[in-house]
Amino acid sequence: MKKGFTRYHFLGILLSAFAVLIAVQMVRIQSSTHADYLDDWAKEYGYELRTIESERGYIYDRYGHLLAGNKEVYEIGIELQFVRNPAAISTTLSNVLGLDYKKVFNAANTEYVPGKQVYITLTDFVEANKIKELSELKTQYENNNPYGEDPELPSLRGLTWTAHLQRIYPEGNLAANILGFFTYYDRESGAGYFGVEEKYNTLLAGVKRNVMIPLDPYEMQEIPTAPAGASLVLTIDREIQRTVEEILDNAVKTNGAAGGTIIVMNPNNGEIMAMASNPRLDPNAYWENTTIFPAGVPYNKAVNQVYEPGSIFKILTMAAALDAGVVTPETPFTDTGQIEVGGWMIYNWDRGAWGSQNMIGCMQHSLNVCLSWVATQLGPTQFYDYLDRFGIGHRTNIDLAGEEVYPLSVPGDPMWYTVNLATNSFGQGVAVTPIQLLMAASAIANEGQMVAPHVLKSYIQDGQQFDTTPQVVGIPIKAETAKTLTDMLTISLEEEASDALVEGYRVAGKTGTAEIAVNGQYSSNKTNASFVGWGPVDDPQFIVYVWLEKPSTSIWGSIVAAPVFRDVVQEIVVLLNLPPDEIRMSMKEE
Amino acid sequence: MRLIQAFKLSPWRIHARTVGFFLLTLVVVLVVASVYLSISGLAANAGLDAYRLDLKRLDLEREIAHRKATLALITSAPAMEERALSMGFEKISPDDAIYITVPGYTGRRAMVVAPPPGINESGRQLVKSVYRESLWDWLFTGINSLGSGFLGDGS
Repeated sequence: MKKGFTRYHFLGILLSAFAVLIAVQMVRIQSSTHADYLDDWAKEYGYELRTIESERGYIYDRYGHLLAGNKEVYEIGIELQFVRNPAAISTTLSNVLGLDYKKVFNAANTEYVPGKQVYITLTDFVEANKIKELSELKTQYENNNPYGEDPELPSLRGLTWTAHLQRIYPEGNLAANILGFFTYYDRESGAGYFGVEEKYNTLLAGVKRNVMIPLDPYEMQEIPTAPAGASLVLTIDREIQRTVEEILDNAVKTNGAAGGTIIVMNPNNGEIMAMASNPRLDPNAYWENTTIFPAGVPYNKAVNQVYEPGSIFKILTMAAALDAGVVTPETPFTDTGQIEVGGWMIYNWDRGAWGSQNMIGCMQHSLNVCLSWVATQLGPTQFYDYLDRFGIGHRTNIDLAGEEVYPLSVPGDPMWYTVNLATNSFGQGVAVTPIQLLMAASAIANEGQMVAPHVLKSYIQDGQQFDTTPQVVGIPIKAETAKTLTDMLTISLEEEASDALVEGYRVAGKTGTAEIAVNGQYSSNKTNASFVGWGPVDDPQFIVYVWLEKPSTSIWGSIVAAPVFRDVVQEIVVLLNLPPDEIRMSMKEE
Repeated sequence: MRLIQAFKLSPWRIHARTVGFFLLTLVVVLVVASVYLSISGLAANAGLDAYRLDLKRLDLEREIAHRKATLALITSAPAMEERALSMGFEKISPDDAIYITVPGYTGRRAMVVAPPPGINESGRQLVKSVYRESLWDWLFTGINSLGSGFLGDGS
């Protein structure tokens, strides 16, 4: 066998030397000055700082129609490092999006400074169809001029777009006074204003936080996510809301009113089925808010504005007197056309004397003198105690933002005088919001039980649907009193042949006309015309409140507000599948 | 006098055995390295997939939201009314309504899109535990399950 230095030895030494070199290189890399640089580089680029933000929750009507959702829009910007042809970018954006050529050109021509000047935002909230157009152009240019190498050919390299969500209200201004709006243009600190958007802002918004996401695939863990904000299902019925809004807008227009509101509620559980207010805003263009609602004009007249209700307040006075046993429907009263209370003379709305009446007649003819007498019979203590029980002077705590309340002056208050007992009895000298009076009236329609008005039926969070529970907030009167008063008001309307009557359905209700105080004096030609009514009287399924502010065709609630009530009821009985009384009774018997 | 075995492996046999041992060791090392390399590659791939899928998820969530909004626009009240009118439908008046009793029908039900509280899925882990446990976890879990199998749980 051959001894000495063989080719095997040579191969062995060579391979060993190679292995040693590898080891040396590994040590050198680990201990060289570049190692720190690489370490820093890994730390800088090894993680991505990402802002995770919940999608704002949806708002639905009671049957699942989307009233507020989110659509995809895009922010367009320029990554300066990759720009090849600023002129092409400027021309394209000018043609497709109508952006200012010079402004875009200057932005695209900005020098790229690593770490300092890398990206410029050009515009935001661009619709998806425009992005599709841009994308096609970019691809076409790229095919013709790969990497934008030919400066003579157009290239959109450097032009980028990033998707995000924008609040959208698909039904336009439908229920805008209930929904409120979200200031989506403010992407950093947008918030809900008015209505449920403000009231439930925290619930809808979900969470927003910054998280570090490792880019090293070995360190990749479960990436944190932000669950979507809670979605709300409202008690609103889209069809009823739309119908009521149409009727209100028409009524405001034909009666030359300054505005108005109509509320439709289920008196059994307090669910608001519709709440229309005029004027209204399209929340998609929320920035017109200050134009449509200048100072002094509330966003939602149903909850954000107090007013003197006038004669519809008489239902509370009569309810109190009946419940306290001070009067019965047959209690006689001789109306002389005037009564003195606290040194002041009180007159009827027509300054006339209506002679012999009973309590039904007093309500039918809406006699201020009679109701003042009733209040004096009741006495201030009982009268204001009942008003307190009806929630007058307190918020209803409806789940809409910015509910107003006007304090009720009671005996002992500096602003209370004896005459207030009389004026308050027919709804003057006292101010309420429509929702407040509607809640009070719901007690009469619901066997004495007053329910909390609300617009939230349920909410969906973490994959579960939570239903709200209707709440009885008080029982101001007995069930018998409620029934007696309902009968009295039904007879009043029928005997009066009121414009509020609806063929086939027995309804109860009361008109109201309240003079408006101008510079401390009541004006006889500026009034608030109102009507509150409910039906069917044997089993009320709806209670409707109508208020028209300063109507000019007629000042009287019986002329302008009562027909609006009738129009509303005629429509909603169909939408609620409520057959006429006769058919309903026969169906029950079957 | 000691007996000395008159046998000695020939040098080429010793070399062959040495080379054989070396190659065997090399193969074992290579197999182990390959397994680790493969697992590392799979893990890296899974990590990248997780990252990509997360981005995809965000895209899909936006797309779902957008489609919901688009659908709502198409089925909005004014759009539906316009469509109904163009198809010859008319708005019903109370006089035209015909009411019939449908046994068992309780009217339109309010929207229900999610289960009520009580069916709690919020604590459910997105990533199964089998993908989280280490080799030791897996080993001990296996041993424990074997142990409980032998001992029986008495149930």
